[in-house]
Amino acid sequence: MSALGIVWQIARRELRERGRSKAYLVTSAVTAILVVALVLVPRLLDGGTDIFEVGSVGSGNEAIVEAGELLGNANDEPDAEPSISISSIDFADRGSAEAALEAAEIDAILVDGSEAVVESVGGFGESQILSYLQQGAASVELEAIVAEEGDVAADVIEIMTSDPLETTTLSGQDAGDESRGAIAYAGLLLLYGAVLFYGSWILSGVTEEKTNRVVEVLLSSIKPWQLLAGKILGIGILGIGQFAGTILIAITTIQLAGIFDLPSLNALAVVNLIVWFILGFLLFAVMFGAAGSLVSRMEEAQNVAFPMSLTAVAGFFVAIATLSDADGVAAVVGTFIPLTAPFVVPVRAALEAIPGWQYAAALILTISTIIGLVFVAGRIYAGGLLRYGGRVKVREAWRSAAD
Amino acid sequence: MHKRFGDVVALDGCTFGVKRGTMLGFLGPNGAGKTTAMRSIFGLMRPDSGQVTWDGQPIDLEQRRRFGYMPEQRGLYPRMKIHDQLAYLGRLRGMPTKEAVASAHHWLERFGLTDRGIDSLEALSHGNQQRVQLAAALIHDPVLLVLDEPFSGLDPIASETMSDILLEQAAAGKAVVFSSHQLDLVEDLCEEVAIINKGAIVVEGTVRDLKDAAPIRHLELEVDDDPTALLESLDGIRSVKTEGTRHHLVIEAGTDVRGLLARAQDAGRLRHFSYTAPSLSDLFREAVT
Repeated sequence: MSALGIVWQIARRELRERGRSKAYLVTSAVTAILVVALVLVPRLLDGGTDIFEVGSVGSGNEAIVEAGELLGNANDEPDAEPSISISSIDFADRGSAEAALEAAEIDAILVDGSEAVVESVGGFGESQILSYLQQGAASVELEAIVAEEGDVAADVIEIMTSDPLETTTLSGQDAGDESRGAIAYAGLLLLYGAVLFYGSWILSGVTEEKTNRVVEVLLSSIKPWQLLAGKILGIGILGIGQFAGTILIAITTIQLAGIFDLPSLNALAVVNLIVWFILGFLLFAVMFGAAGSLVSRMEEAQNVAFPMSLTAVAGFFVAIATLSDADGVAAVVGTFIPLTAPFVVPVRAALEAIPGWQYAAALILTISTIIGLVFVAGRIYAGGLLRYGGRVKVREAWRSAAD
Repeated sequence: MHKRFGDVVALDGCTFGVKRGTMLGFLGPNGAGKTTAMRSIFGLMRPDSGQVTWDGQPIDLEQRRRFGYMPEQRGLYPRMKIHDQLAYLGRLRGMPTKEAVASAHHWLERFGLTDRGIDSLEALSHGNQQRVQLAAALIHDPVLLVLDEPFSGLDPIASETMSDILLEQAAAGKAVVFSSHQLDLVEDLCEEVAIINKGAIVVEGTVRDLKDAAPIRHLELEVDDDPTALLESLDGIRSVKTEGTRHHLVIEAGTDVRGLLARAQDAGRLRHFSYTAPSLSDLFREAVT
């Protein structure tokens, strides 16, 4: 069998055994449920129509109520349930209306289109209805001034809810930057989470084989690098699969629930994210694999992985700094350090704030580092795997590695 | 081969060989270098100097895939189904999937574990886990079988199965090497032995030749009368141990035993007389002290 055939055999075992393990199925199900809950819960808490009833005394109140309701629902999605509903109930005189207000049968009273009566100001419900009525009254007034003829209420509302001023910023951002920043931030969070989460799978998977002593049997017929590569490939496919599935579920839930429009993604941005996602995953997976080979017990595995976790955290914070200052010193330095580049470069690229040559240089540097690390980590892995007992020092592992 | 771990010399010019169709007992006190030597066959340890050859050629990974190894520290995946596990190891050693699956079936059947194939390793008893471990070494029908302490921790029944399979493998033309501290068992099974001490082979050859070449013989004697005079007439006695009327003597090889037997029959009624070559245990003790 070819060398890569063996790598695939190992990856396949990893896919089959880990893929149908309870741990994998449970984490997949739990993340899926969590994502749906995270998307839907705020929606459920926020959902439904707020119903207000306004007592009407005298005349001239109906137009205010109608305009207030229109304005309150002006930001709704076209097919969505309205945010608010205001209805008016006629009262013969002010006294009976006030009695109804006191009994909390109604939320406010309008008198002759010129006076609003509420229980008190400052309370949540009262302020809300009062502000709708104020806006409604203002628009009725405005309408009276601008209207010579016909129904221009809709025009007035459109004017009142539009942003008539063109916005310019000193930093040169345009309106699209907000959504690009959101994509960069989401991508960064995903990469950071994936590196640490799936990295720890590789770490514990490697240590487990050493604890079980199954490495001795395996390495009598295959090369250490094949075992490491197969493991990274198998866990990588499972991890990326779980991740992609989670993201797909999130997007589907958002679309179905009609919560908000997803920022439109261009193909280049997606490719950029995927490329750096894979590079970052590989870079850390190789290091986690080497670290896992140094210890014989699971309890020690997290300790030995600490430097890697710290590096990932550092990369994350440099990238966060990059979000607000994409051309800053931290951003540029982070671009040229292969360990932070997978976090920083995709953010700068998403913000369209990285010169082409820097992007290319970071790509070359990171890929070369991964290739170099495969050899270094592969040798540490080979040396570490076959030395049992306490924690093996990196230097010892390096020296004792068989060719 | 030579191998040094820091200040410790693990292998100090260790050289031995095994022929096809032969079973070699690889003996030595703890820490003599047995495991290090066996691991070097599989590239799990890189010697400082020296090499392992097969048919006169230095072995590579491709060749190693045709060898079977049962390490001293047993190890397989505890939560993987044993049938899948065996088939997987077969595939890693280059068997097509169909063949690997058939071979896994074959060995599970051989060990009476056919209906346990879908169980995970950790669900099996200790004895059955050992059987699976042996099957893992045999799954790809290796030309050379190297087993590090295969009999340790086995009950008499399991031990017998192990012996049968090793004999069978040797009879089928495979080269078999195994280490053990159970010298009686090695004496029963092995045609050849190699004894390693402090990293070097101190004795190597067929058990028969080694016994013939040993400088001593054992003599057990029981006569009705006082044997003092009889024993005094014998040259080359190294030691005498007496239990009741039975005398255990260690004498030099080449001592005239026929004469002694004749004189003993003259001296009185001879109840017991045995003349034997030293056991493997004796040879072992001689070699490593």
